[in-house]
Amino acid sequence: MTGDFLSLLPARQEIGTAQKSTHSLPTLEATTVFAFHCSEGVIVAGDHRATAGNVVFSDKTEKIIELDRYSLLAIAGSPSIAIEMARTLQTAFEFYRRSQLQPMSLSAKLRALSRLLRENLPATLQGFGVVAPIFAGVDASTGKPSIYFYDPLGAQFEAAAYAGSGSGSPSIKSVLHFHEQWGNPKPAQMTLAQAVALANRLLITAAEFDTATGGVNPVRNDFATIKLLSPTGIRTIETIEQSQHWRASGP
Amino acid sequence: MTDEPYRWLEAIANRREYIRDQLKGASPVFAFSRPEGILLCGVGVGQSKVFEVYDRHALVTLGHPVDIEKVRQTLIEAAHLEGFTRAPEDVTLRRLLSASLGPLLKNAFEQIFAAPLLIELILAEVGRTPDQDVLVRVGYDGTPRFIKNSIVVAHTNATDEQAAVDWLSAQVQPNAALKDVGRLALRAEGALMSGKPFASPPTEPNPIAKERVIEMAILERIEPNRVHYRSLDASTIS
Repeated sequence: MTGDFLSLLPARQEIGTAQKSTHSLPTLEATTVFAFHCSEGVIVAGDHRATAGNVVFSDKTEKIIELDRYSLLAIAGSPSIAIEMARTLQTAFEFYRRSQLQPMSLSAKLRALSRLLRENLPATLQGFGVVAPIFAGVDASTGKPSIYFYDPLGAQFEAAAYAGSGSGSPSIKSVLHFHEQWGNPKPAQMTLAQAVALANRLLITAAEFDTATGGVNPVRNDFATIKLLSPTGIRTIETIEQSQHWRASGP
Repeated sequence: MTDEPYRWLEAIANRREYIRDQLKGASPVFAFSRPEGILLCGVGVGQSKVFEVYDRHALVTLGHPVDIEKVRQTLIEAAHLEGFTRAPEDVTLRRLLSASLGPLLKNAFEQIFAAPLLIELILAEVGRTPDQDVLVRVGYDGTPRFIKNSIVVAHTNATDEQAAVDWLSAQVQPNAALKDVGRLALRAEGALMSGKPFASPPTEPNPIAKERVIEMAILERIEPNRVHYRSLDASTIS
């Protein structure tokens, strides 16, 4: 009755945790997900493209996953393992909250993700199961949303202003760094409308230089997946709202 | 002793008597299937009567706190394992009862050399429409009753429990607000706890003792997120 779902699984001999998965799906690599602070909280966004080598698998992939009401995971890397990790964490967080009658702390959530990444080490070293996610969560004690990024071995780092992962992220991080240094307003000072427009522009910029980033085309009314994490929880910015912000942001 | 049928029956009868005696005086609990969702309420000491089990499932119960905790953990573990290995939609009360809770309660009741579980409970599963709601009244021996009525009461006395259901069925209007339904439940609670005939329940809810609190929650029917359970602020009805 410790509230630890990850230890409950092997104890009951149900299907294994992520480290025991034997996925045989083709390795899908490359993507673009990122997060940055804005005036209303943290924006977490991603494109919709999934690729295998030079083949576009899908332009409708959802890479920003709600783990619970106060936690978001942006997945980059092998989707079969990343999605399984997200599903494991969703269940683990809710299991703990319900069984212990209190939410899991942000620190414990961060360590749970670290543990899954570390247990995925064999797949990471073999090169077919690399996962490099971004985690955004609200610290219940302070009510402050924070951004964390991970290396594929499970080391976790807090991002002061922004984080990006995936093959398109270098372009995005360069632009975000520019905005942080010389922008007016800086991303952290932007309204939600400005931040949503910036997120879509960043993905269009990344797609210009990275063939594995795509699925965002405002002309065709295809917008990014964007979620706002604030002290009150998660809000998905729907396409219609993104469209309004996009039009209001100018040409 | 178990080799002799008469002694077995006697032991079981003694066990029933022991459990009823131990549960005597426990505060009843209520569940109402409403258009907004399923309302659950009871009077306890805080996080002692009404519990979330899974995305669309909740438990409202009376009994010994340790036994309640055992049943609660069993349900939560079974629901999460089922939801993880299959899908959240596959978690149903029927499966939780048949594969997990039913055997636990029945075994505990029939293991006559071990202490029984002192518990009575209602399980709730919210559906997309009130017709799809599932309410189950489960006794200490694991016997489930799937209730067609939209009102379920769990009390230690079966006659009084039925009287409460009848009275509430007559009082609760189809379009009543949740706070009014909650107030009616508290009036019924007051009548059941006072042990008076149900023909004339108190016109107002009984004053709640200092150390006790009203526990209320709803399994919301329309919920954009996976989790339908929401605790309610009882001060709105007291």
